[in-house]
Formats: sequence, structure tokens, C-alpha cells
Amino acid sequence: MSTPSPSSSLVCAFAVTRTPPPAGLPAAAGHEEGGPLRQLPAGDLWLVVQDVPVAAFGEAALGERLNRPADLERCARAHHRTVEAAARTGPVVPLPMATLYRSDEGAVDAVTSRAAALRALLDRLRGRTEWAVKVHAAQVPAEGAGEAEEAGAEDAGGSGGRSYLSRASARRRVRQDGHGRAVAAAEAVDAELRRYAVAATRHRPQSERLTGRRAPQLLNAAYLVDDARREDFAAALARLGGAGGPAGVEVGASGPWVPYSFARWDEEGDPEPEREVVRP
Amino acid sequence: MTDLDRRYATLEPEYPAASGSLADLLERVLDKGIVIAGDIKIDLLDIELLTIRLRLFIASVDTAKKAGIDWWESDPALSSRAGRDALAEENARLRARLDALEAATDADEAERRERPGRHERHERQEYVEETR
Repeated sequence: MSTPSPSSSLVCAFAVTRTPPPAGLPAAAGHEEGGPLRQLPAGDLWLVVQDVPVAAFGEAALGERLNRPADLERCARAHHRTVEAAARTGPVVPLPMATLYRSDEGAVDAVTSRAAALRALLDRLRGRTEWAVKVHAAQVPAEGAGEAEEAGAEDAGGSGGRSYLSRASARRRVRQDGHGRAVAAAEAVDAELRRYAVAATRHRPQSERLTGRRAPQLLNAAYLVDDARREDFAAALARLGGAGGPAGVEVGASGPWVPYSFARWDEEGDPEPEREVVRP
Repeated sequence: MTDLDRRYATLEPEYPAASGSLADLLERVLDKGIVIAGDIKIDLLDIELLTIRLRLFIASVDTAKKAGIDWWESDPALSSRAGRDALAEENARLRARLDALEAATDADEAERRERPGRHERHERQEYVEETR
């Protein structure tokens, strides 16, 4: 492989696989700034890598680029596309975006020193996909009507600010009761979906700023689903999200995903050494 | 946004790309996946902040494209953190004030229900003493 010079390029790693895809990897995948994708043997495992220029992927340059929306998006999609391409023919262990090494040797060492754990993980993820499920409280109705009514009441009664505030706190109590029920409904959704999943995990709920909704996100979960149970899982999802589902919440899903959320070391035997910054 | 709609290639799409799927993607490729110590560590902003920024950016691009303008390219509010942080801070301040106001109203009301007919100012003082 033609690496121009060790100092001008880095090795960007995307995923660990059991075997190299027989037909090779599509030329379109990978970061557009980099060279063609390569399969790097690492013991009995394989790494999907790409040579990328230091000018764009060095610590300072990449840090700066990823804080720019357009570059972040392009980079995230390129990473994801590549992981998906690698997943076409068998299980993969996806690596986080921007996993970078100074040389092939560094990348290979990182894999071979954890080969047993990675093999176990590949076995665990084989024939399984991830599903993202989010449960939101049902959107609160527009407040326009209530406010108009209040304004009228205020005009009629003379109690002014105090009565407004007492109505406001009554409304708040109703809202809190509603919130409690919605949280319980979200838990019920999670419990039901877990019945069809091999494993489940929760991510930090996304803020309203991020979701763009006026109602809180109550559950941000991922489920690892066996291919054989996928239809059951999808049916459960349709039930929960449909008219017969729990009241007061909205259930949304995306998938199937490469199981990013389940590519982690076992809780006990974490073979991950410190992720340290190596400076030349 | 066709790339966004790409699905895990071996599998038929079962759900249309939700509006949250870009956030889903970033949540996964930035934060998940197994970490096998790289040689280079990239310091990113908080992922949620990055995602919000990206979301704003995309909304802006779509909106602007329709209008045939490209103001976002040079708008510092979309490229600097300061503008949005100021808004978020103001929002937090307002929320805190609202909470304090509502809490005071609740306490006041509870007190009033127990002791009807008293003068409001007395109530207030007694309440403060009782809670000490």
C-alpha cells in the first residue's frame, strides 16, 4: 500500500471483522480526504482501515473540523457508511469515529492485544441488529386557548395575580401527575420491548433543544435484536406505537443499525488500557 | 439528505428516517462502538452540543436553500458557541425564576388553606418561622 510518508498520513480504523469481505470494499466508502479502504490482518481478525492525511486528521485539524457542522456531518456519514459496508458480509465490531493510529503496527497491536475479547464480541453480535427506540411524552396542547380563558377570568374577577398564580400551580400539579403516568408508560414500553431483545441499553435522553419537541424525552433506548426475532420485535413496536399502545406517550424507532451501542467490553473483564495521547 | 436515509445495507428499511436519525447517528458513531486505544485523541465538544449545532445547521441550509440565500455561511451565530450559550443561559435563568415563583405560590396557598381569614402578611411571617 502506498503510504506517502509516515509523517504525512495517519491510519483511520473503522471496524474489526472476522474475515475480509470476499468482494472487497466499495471504493465509495471511507473519508473523502483519504485513500482507498484497506483490509489489515491482525492475528486471526481483520481491521478495515484507510490512510488519511495528517493535514485533515491530525489532532488539531480534526478537532477543529469536527466542531464545524458540515465537516462533522460528512465525517460521521463517511464513518457510518464504511462500517455498514464492512458489515455487509458478516459481523463487525464498529469503532468510534476518528479512531486514529500513526501506523499500521499501532492499529494491529491494538486489535491483537484484545483479540479474545473482540472474538467474543463478534460472536455475540453475529446475526443481530440494533434498534433505537425513543419515547416522548405526548406533545402538550397549545396553550393559546387556556391563556385566553385566563385573561377573560382575570378581567371578570378582581383577584388578579394571586388567582392567576393559583391556577398556574394547579395546572402544574396536573402536569406533574401526567408526567408520572407518562414515565410509567415509557417504562412499560421498555419492559415489553426487552422481551424480544437479547440485550437492551439506555442512552442519555436527548434534550428538548435537540429533539425540537415541546415534550420531554422519557426513554432513549437501544435493543439488540436477533434476526430470528426481528419480526416479533417490529410487531411489538407497532403495537406500542399504534392506537392500542400506552396513552400519553409517543413511541418512535429507527433501525436496523449496526450494533454500535452493544459493541462494548464486558463489564468485568475490561481489557481497555488508558486511552492516552501519544505525542511524537 | 439521501445519505441520511441510508440503511444498514443487508436489511430492508422498515422505518422511514425519523427526524431524529441524524442525532441517532451521531450518538452512535461519536459515543458508541468499542474503544481500542487510538494514538490520537480528539477533544470534541459535548456531543449533544455538536448535534444541536448540526441540527441547526441543517435546518438553516434547507430553509435558506429554498429562499436561495446563503447567509448561514457567514453568520457568526451559527458558527460560534457564544450566541446559543447566551440564549441557553437566559432560558435557564428564566426557568429558575419561574420555578421559584411557582414554589412560593404553592407554599403560600397551602398555608392559606390551613389558616383562612388571617392577614396575609402575618401568614407569611408565621410560615417562615414554622419552617425553621
